[in-house]
Amino acid sequence: MITKEKIDDYIEKIPPAPDTLRKTVFLLNNGELHKAAVVAQSDLALSAYLKSIVNKPIYGFKNEVSDISQIFGILGATGSQTTVYNYMINLLSPNKWLLFKLNATSFSSLQDTLSLQWKKILQHLEIKDKDIENSITLLPASIIVSEALFCEKIEDVQLIRSAKSIDYNTILVRLAGVDLFDICEQISNKWEMSNKIATIIQAASGIKPLSDESINILGKWMHLLLFYELSQPTFVEAGLNDFIDFQIDFVSDIYEDFASLMDVQ
Amino acid sequence: MRAIVKNGIGVFLPQGFLDGNKTTVFLSIDDIEATKKLKVDMILVSLKKVIFFNKNGLDAFVKMFLKLRAANNITVGFCEYDHKKYEAIQKFYADELNFSLFKTEEIASLFASSFKNQKKSALLYSEDKSQRSAIAIELHDNGHNPIIAQTKSEFIEKRVQKENYDVIISDTYLGQMGQKVATRVTGNAIIYTVNSFLDAEIGNTFNIAYHNNSLNVGFRLFIFDAYKVVSMNVHALNFFSRLASSAAEYNATLCFVGMSFEKTPESLKETMEDSGIMFYEQMDDILQNKELLKELGASSAGNAKNKRVINKTLVSELPKFIDAAILTIEMMTNSNAEKDAVEICDIKVSDHSNKIASSIGFYGDIDGMIVLVFPTSIAKSACELLIGEKTDDIELILDSLAELVNIVGGKIKTLLADHDVSVNITLPRTYSTVDSVLEVISEKKGVQVDLSFNNDKFLFFLTR
Repeated sequence: MITKEKIDDYIEKIPPAPDTLRKTVFLLNNGELHKAAVVAQSDLALSAYLKSIVNKPIYGFKNEVSDISQIFGILGATGSQTTVYNYMINLLSPNKWLLFKLNATSFSSLQDTLSLQWKKILQHLEIKDKDIENSITLLPASIIVSEALFCEKIEDVQLIRSAKSIDYNTILVRLAGVDLFDICEQISNKWEMSNKIATIIQAASGIKPLSDESINILGKWMHLLLFYELSQPTFVEAGLNDFIDFQIDFVSDIYEDFASLMDVQ
Repeated sequence: MRAIVKNGIGVFLPQGFLDGNKTTVFLSIDDIEATKKLKVDMILVSLKKVIFFNKNGLDAFVKMFLKLRAANNITVGFCEYDHKKYEAIQKFYADELNFSLFKTEEIASLFASSFKNQKKSALLYSEDKSQRSAIAIELHDNGHNPIIAQTKSEFIEKRVQKENYDVIISDTYLGQMGQKVATRVTGNAIIYTVNSFLDAEIGNTFNIAYHNNSLNVGFRLFIFDAYKVVSMNVHALNFFSRLASSAAEYNATLCFVGMSFEKTPESLKETMEDSGIMFYEQMDDILQNKELLKELGASSAGNAKNKRVINKTLVSELPKFIDAAILTIEMMTNSNAEKDAVEICDIKVSDHSNKIASSIGFYGDIDGMIVLVFPTSIAKSACELLIGEKTDDIELILDSLAELVNIVGGKIKTLLADHDVSVNITLPRTYSTVDSVLEVISEKKGVQVDLSFNNDKFLFFLTR
């Protein structure tokens, strides 16, 4: 059904990050917001994306913000970098979703919400680290990869899942020996994202505990955040609630803290 | 979200947070309608992967429970929770707890019809005395051996000796149970427990799909434990007469045990006897009498006199059946499966050792049964996707083989539907030895196809 060769072929077809994006990320990483804005402006699609993001109600601006320098100023260096990474991941998403009932708007909304909630978590944990903040951007790539690999096998997958409770990630591991998070790591390597980002994403799978406890903790918070968001009506309806296996024991020791932060009642 | 069905129980597995009014999205109208059509004894919602819920979050499922029970007379409830969650549900629904709570799926399965779950020794405790009795009675009716702990200290004391029990039951609550007729399997006989007044409702409460499946997979003796029946009317009589007629097609026998005719006209008994139903006073009159068991058909499932033969219609659909098996194996193993030889014959298995089998029946526009026979090691690799780990646990392998054959059945249903042939599939059954499958299908003509994947051979047999 899905082979290692098919996965390699999928990764092979992912283009390297365009020059404009690489330069923008590099400049933002160095805190050179103005220079980054000049570069970003030359990419019309990126500019349009940045404008659409920052003018969403979630940011609460009364007047339309359209100047890229201003947008980067509002978001800050790390926030801008996170947004550019979200844009890069967005480039991978399909024109038409078949496996999950998503569209460009709902997927982008998931990215935005995850990024904002992750920022809230990191403030709560008193962590200030660009890579850690940006790591959340890679998480939704797992959904895009599932869609890409399984969309041609929807009937087969449904047949298997009607007989056994088995998530997409497990099917992939058992058939091809790699999981969604390994594939995310390969994408991040291809796009020259920091290794730390991929490491946190691997920890967030909930099935690969690391020896580094500080990364494990981040993995737990990210895993729980993902399922908090995937329990929202839009994403349950999209069929995302059980796309990977929720590791309830993995997150049990941070649950109370999480519930209090997110005001779960 | 759809329920996953196994051993007569459909289970929903939501994950994460069930709060607010969000849970309505877990169950669309289509989902509920699809669930109503499932031929199951129970529908449960597992809370194993739910980290948080509130009453609003559970309400959507509870509403579904009520609809399902009203429509299908089945048991409904939650399962797979810890003590804290159990107490929370009890608190939320204090005065309106009319669904069931099963601490584990294994406990729930004791109350459902299954070929597997038989004669379990179960230690049980509930703080509520009436619950202790209700659980014990239900367990007994389903053929298990309940051991009741009357106090918590007695329970804790007995629980230490866990090797004495197959299952330990606590934090479990029986709400309004399904009205399905309780079923148990004893050797090659199926025992149904019926009680109180038997009327037209028996048509709804008797699990006809399970019964047909039992006939298809070779059971030939069906005993109705009728000690607790008060009376029967003509509608029930007609139902049992029809059941006896369909059983006759398989040369199967229906018996009633312990039925009193104090409040039921003797003429009904005579009519039932005319349709082939036999009456006995005590269960042991049958179960302890080997000669009688043999005569009634329970010593060997394969001694049917009137063989149903494979017909032209079935053979004309053969390519679809073979395709379904091949496509499923290919899908599950990522390798090419091939057809080696096809022959119409009695099933021929060259070497009986280290082989296991699974069968599934289908009925509708056409009817019959598919049997897959695998060397155990090949079954393991065919089921690797479902098992996920290296194991020699034969129960686990057989379980996965049942899932595999269920997927084959599903594929057949789809392939036939594409050609406007409508069939339903029965529950799968597994056999730990070749001899046990031969008991069911020996001397039955069918189409035998030798198949292979990665040069590993296995056998496909299609019969009626």
